[in-house]
Amino acid sequence: MTEQNVRELVYRSCLALDREDFDGFLALCDPALHYVVTAYSPEIRKEMTWMEQDLAGMKALLAMVPQHLRRTGSLHRHVSVYQVEAPASDGTIGALSSFLVTHTALDGGSRLFAVGHYHDRIAATGGRHLLKTRRAHLETRDLGIGLHIPI
Amino acid sequence: MTARNAQAWANPPRVPPSHFVSGWVYRDPAIYDAEQAKIFRRVWRFAAHESEMPEAGAYRTFVHACEPMMVVRETGDRFAGFIDRAGPAGARLLPGPAGQCRSTRGLRPCRTAAKWGFVFVTLDPEAPDLDSYLGDALDIFRDVFEGREFSYEVFHFHQAIVEANWKAWQETILDLYHEFMHVVLRRTQMPATAMTARSLRQHRNGHVSIGGLRALYGNYQAYRVRSEGEALPGLTPDDARFTPLFPDTTIIARGTVLRVDTVTPLGPHRTLVESRGLGIKGESPADRRMRIRHHNDYWGPLGRNVPEDAYAAEACERAFGRGAALFQTIARDEDGRGQDDCGLRAFYAEWSRRLGRPACAPTNADAISRGEQEGKP
Amino acid sequence: MSARAAEAWSKPPAVPETHYVSGLVYSDESVFADEKRRIFDRTWHLACHESEVPEPYDFRTVDYVGTPLLVVRGADRRIRTFFNVCPHRGAKIVHELSGNTKRFTCFYHLWSFDAVGACTDIPRQEGYQTVGLKKDDVGLREVRTEIHVGLVFVNLDDQATPLGQYLGKALDAFEGPMTAGKGLEVFHYNRAIIQSNWKAWQETNLDVYHEFMHVLLRRTQMTAAPLEDRKVTVHPNGHTSIAGLRAKYEYYKGMQSRDDRLALPTLRADDFIFGTVFPHVAVLARGTTMRIDVVTPLDAHRTLIEWRGLGVRGDSAEDRQARVRHHNQYWGPFGRNVPEDAYAAEAAEMGFGRGAARFQVIARDEGGSGQDDGMLRAFYGEWSRRTGRPAANPSNAPMA
Repeated sequence: MTEQNVRELVYRSCLALDREDFDGFLALCDPALHYVVTAYSPEIRKEMTWMEQDLAGMKALLAMVPQHLRRTGSLHRHVSVYQVEAPASDGTIGALSSFLVTHTALDGGSRLFAVGHYHDRIAATGGRHLLKTRRAHLETRDLGIGLHIPI
Repeated sequence: MTARNAQAWANPPRVPPSHFVSGWVYRDPAIYDAEQAKIFRRVWRFAAHESEMPEAGAYRTFVHACEPMMVVRETGDRFAGFIDRAGPAGARLLPGPAGQCRSTRGLRPCRTAAKWGFVFVTLDPEAPDLDSYLGDALDIFRDVFEGREFSYEVFHFHQAIVEANWKAWQETILDLYHEFMHVVLRRTQMPATAMTARSLRQHRNGHVSIGGLRALYGNYQAYRVRSEGEALPGLTPDDARFTPLFPDTTIIARGTVLRVDTVTPLGPHRTLVESRGLGIKGESPADRRMRIRHHNDYWGPLGRNVPEDAYAAEACERAFGRGAALFQTIARDEDGRGQDDCGLRAFYAEWSRRLGRPACAPTNADAISRGEQEGKP
Repeated sequence: MSARAAEAWSKPPAVPETHYVSGLVYSDESVFADEKRRIFDRTWHLACHESEVPEPYDFRTVDYVGTPLLVVRGADRRIRTFFNVCPHRGAKIVHELSGNTKRFTCFYHLWSFDAVGACTDIPRQEGYQTVGLKKDDVGLREVRTEIHVGLVFVNLDDQATPLGQYLGKALDAFEGPMTAGKGLEVFHYNRAIIQSNWKAWQETNLDVYHEFMHVLLRRTQMTAAPLEDRKVTVHPNGHTSIAGLRAKYEYYKGMQSRDDRLALPTLRADDFIFGTVFPHVAVLARGTTMRIDVVTPLDAHRTLIEWRGLGVRGDSAEDRQARVRHHNQYWGPFGRNVPEDAYAAEAAEMGFGRGAARFQVIARDEGGSGQDDGMLRAFYGEWSRRTGRPAANPSNAPMA
């Protein structure tokens, strides 16, 4: 049951981001959310952080999105949940997923945009499952012009 | 007068020749080749920061003037650059973008020099030395780098291939007027000081420096105000200043953090943009995290500023790349302040000087592509 | 005689020069550059159907051989077209494919333009005082726009002959179906980039003989009416049309004959007429529904094809559903006809693109009936006239 809930949460978080339903996405996040996008650079031989936000920061950032100039078209996250761990002592559950993100241009052509892994910790409190931490680790490091929403 | 017909559209803008640029500069293959020979093979180009080569033998590769290049720390503060091609087939010797290099035997060396930890190379044996090439262009960074007991360190690197001519990217840096495009700048930069407080200086060799900008970070709802204690030495936390070095490198400071960009043409219509973020070597994890956050607020692939510039460069390519747009206007004059286009004009003046053809009519000089021009409306 | 050695293979076919085409027309870069300059920069191009911009301030953006265009209906209901390019710094202004707005603001420096192409706002204009640059100097580039049977045509050449004169009677057969009553509207649009020269696609719309390739046509078309009933017409300026084709839809498993009640004005439900407008438009009517092709070269070996499907404006939901079904039986990406044509175009590219095939033969003569190659010859006749290169030997120096 728990495993099923964890999978559903991961999938729903991606569906909400695909639809750019930011309120829907934020509703899936724990008040203690910690969201990080990381990548490793073989050029400088370092782990890097490309985005780090708590819930308030994420909320503000997503609220500003409509005012920005952004790449046209849409992103589509294809996710497979590979592992769901047993609950830890603090009640959170770890999950490891793989993601492929495709970009579909306005004229209808699609191409692979990015690949990576989600390292999630999910809080299960009061019968609800919420995203507490997510580290989206990118294998892809050339993101073209870049983007304004979390991967 | 409203819209224009083909003939009116083909007329050059009614401004002085220094104040507009022909669309041919972005798409003529012969101009692209001339840029490689007369600009990129002659200038000093930022290769890597010393912190990327922490010990003797550490190297970093890059591409410059169509050549595979590398720079290596030999001993102490001595760096050496080479063309990374060896053997009869001219294969790259080094396996990755960075690592330890056992030997540079057989590689062709090139002139190499460093300033403030930034390592530069040139393929031109006749070029003036780095200090004369830079002149006083980096003076606005003197307080940041000189006489400091610590050194800087690269914590961020990313690259992207932008579908545009390299100059369209560089223009996003030289052009202050386009701050209207960025909601972060409309909120944090435009109300922070009077337009007259800004200063755009043109230096020898086409370099430009821009100072007097400030930022009210609290005006953008997702940002935190930067505190005095977070500022880099020599800067206030709300300072913003930058130096586009001709042709392809820019050093940018935003109070608490630094960024260095390089732009490398891959063809008339494709450009590699490399971007580094720098903090203080040995700073506490909390300070580093703060600096990374500040860097990512504006910069990096998920920042709120840089992706919009790339969008703009690609939008220009769509109009210039196949010849729909014929000219661009760089005619704003605010006496070296405000949103003056003098940075763009300095860039294109140097470009014209080095190529020996005016940017406003680059194909007329020696009839390059005249055959194609004849078919233009 | 059986197979041929290299020398024999390289010899032109033993037919009149008008009856074959050299493979160089598909692969030579200088031929392609001439096509762009001498054909595409000078002929009328179908930008869209007027139903795509039905209301004042509706717009549609299209890309025409590398030129971004903006089609707008003004407050006066007139449709105008502009380069979708900011006169300031050259950025493409509108990035959406369609919409409605009174004001087009370039994202880069927020210069604004109205629906007649005038510049209406320059932020902080005082920066241009020194050089005296004014809004009046920086209007958009307007492109000649004319409408025929609901089709919005544009021409980059301000000196080109007017559209009506250019088309002549080429689309006369479509006037009834396309303009009687409430007129038509677009209900289907899809596009694809195919890996072939643009002419290889257009040939599939000019070549009647290749109906042997389509099982759908073998069953529904070849047996429906005598071959002698067909009549090919070659119009001035390289346009073509054909009449006298019929379809027995029920001969293909799963399809039913079409109800005359649904026939487009002046047509029978089993009628099939089609025509081409030089260089790159095809209009096809199958009794109850229409298809329009626009073929745009991206380079010598890549081609953008846009397909539109049309029904009657104000159709009942039920009638529209039937027309969409009829459209999709033959056309669209899941139809049983169009994907086979695209297959053929790409196969021809495999032969001609790198020089393995040297010539193609367009020598069928059935007196303008049956499976005559007259439409292909008309196309290449005009092509040769405009490029100044004979299609049979295009590397001959261009005529002045």
